[in-house]
Amino acid sequence: MKDVLAYFQRDLLRWVRGRLAVVSALVMPAAWLIFVGLALPTTFTENYIDFITPGILVLTMLGASLQGGSLLIFDRILGFLNKFLALPSSRESILFGKILFITTRGLIQATVILILAFILGAALFPPMELVLTYAILALFGLLLSAFSTTVALHLSDHDAYAAFSAMVSMPLFFTSSALMPYEVMPAWLRGLAYLNPVSFAIDSIRALQVGVILWSRLGALLVLAAVVIGVSVYRFRKVTL
Amino acid sequence: MIETQDLTRVYGSLCAVDELSLSVGNEIFGLLGPNGSGKTTTVLMLTTLLRPTSGSALICGHDVVREAREVRNHISYVPQDMAVDIKLTGRENVALFARLYGIERRDEKVDEVLAIMELDSRADDLVRTYSGGMRRRLELAQALVHEPRVLFLDEPTIGLDVAARQKIWEHIRALKVRGMTIFVTTHYMDEADHSCDRVGILDHGRLVAVDSPARLKNHRGQDIITIRISGSWDGRVPDGVRFLGDEGEELVFCARDGSAMVPGLVRHFEQQGATVRSIAVRTPTLDDIFLSLVRTRDEPGGFDDHRFRTMLRRRS
Repeated sequence: MKDVLAYFQRDLLRWVRGRLAVVSALVMPAAWLIFVGLALPTTFTENYIDFITPGILVLTMLGASLQGGSLLIFDRILGFLNKFLALPSSRESILFGKILFITTRGLIQATVILILAFILGAALFPPMELVLTYAILALFGLLLSAFSTTVALHLSDHDAYAAFSAMVSMPLFFTSSALMPYEVMPAWLRGLAYLNPVSFAIDSIRALQVGVILWSRLGALLVLAAVVIGVSVYRFRKVTL
Repeated sequence: MIETQDLTRVYGSLCAVDELSLSVGNEIFGLLGPNGSGKTTTVLMLTTLLRPTSGSALICGHDVVREAREVRNHISYVPQDMAVDIKLTGRENVALFARLYGIERRDEKVDEVLAIMELDSRADDLVRTYSGGMRRRLELAQALVHEPRVLFLDEPTIGLDVAARQKIWEHIRALKVRGMTIFVTTHYMDEADHSCDRVGILDHGRLVAVDSPARLKNHRGQDIITIRISGSWDGRVPDGVRFLGDEGEELVFCARDGSAMVPGLVRHFEQQGATVRSIAVRTPTLDDIFLSLVRTRDEPGGFDDHRFRTMLRRRS
């Protein structure tokens, strides 16, 4: 655990000192919130900003996690990974440090977006709902950062990773329940959206807004996260040996 | 300190390291070889980063495969990439390693190694502002923090200017005096000649010579003859002379008692209708020994990995 925190702290310091990157990651989710959340004429709800906020929070985590995979790519290409692997400390702590950092960074960014949503008029979350929302976002972050870090472990360079990230991020977002409820989706999208892990998190948070814990969706998210993290650890051990 | 027995690594159909058997004691050992000869692969196996295909290697008596963790407790590895975090200070870079090594009284130890590497006055500046030589010394400070028995350095002076290289070697020699075993790979023969107690020359994954630089240069007792000619030459040489290669316009030969061979060589070329424009005889350098032992001097590397990494580093 001590080693995980050491790796975590390294990434945190590097992130905080790269000032532009701290701000730039917030631009896209903020733009969605403002230009779509406030401007889109919708018929299925009176208050679209309340509806879209869970989707944008999950989008923020999704973006942060996918971007996080490039951290391992650079560590590998630039020789850091080999230096760390030659240390006597446990090798998995490199992986856990990355997952922990990427998730934490996502949660920090999500907090900024959440505050922005409240400023733009979204209803405030009661304390219990707020805690559970963070728990769901964290779980989603762990899932996606384990996934993106594992993909990064297998791709040869940063360009390949950027291509991967661009290829999955938008389709995952648009085929989720982020922008509209299942009822108004065309039939072909409905099935896709229901099976999309991004929807697992969004639906769980949306249920919280009406005071319900939606175990079917939350359970799916938990199981998937456990599986992906398990595979991630296994692959990391295999590749780094 | 380091014992390998038939250490072999195969990538697909390429045998990168071929039955390497080597014994390194408490010394500065230089592993030399052209690009792609297997130097880095050897270091990766010895530092437990790559599993050997066959054969074995012991570091301080511990097997690199079965007791990898124990091996890592005794070694430090500095790869050639110059991997230090430029957004962190020198002190933070070293403190990270001290934490990962689980050093007690961490702050004192960090101060101590920074002072050894003469970085104490700049310790709290961001590494972004460090020169190449300082960054390399910072990596050495990171490597020293847990007092390893064996230090592996892959091309420690690559990309540095002459003064910085000299300084790095001064530090490496000082570490040896403190009792550390140093295993270093390098392209620079003059540096190996000057600083290594013994060198091993690797060619296509096979160890073709192991000895002290002085003995490698002397034991053949051969001189190097460099001749500049104009006109054609059919590639044949007189008895007792061996053609080593050409460096630009100069043809390089080696022969025992080189001065005595000069008249014969001049006659030989003139008989073929070529004109000898200049001729020089000298005792060999490690460069010449290297040249005579490896099959081709400029193995075309498929891909300039180092330049690529430097480019990426600028982007990050």
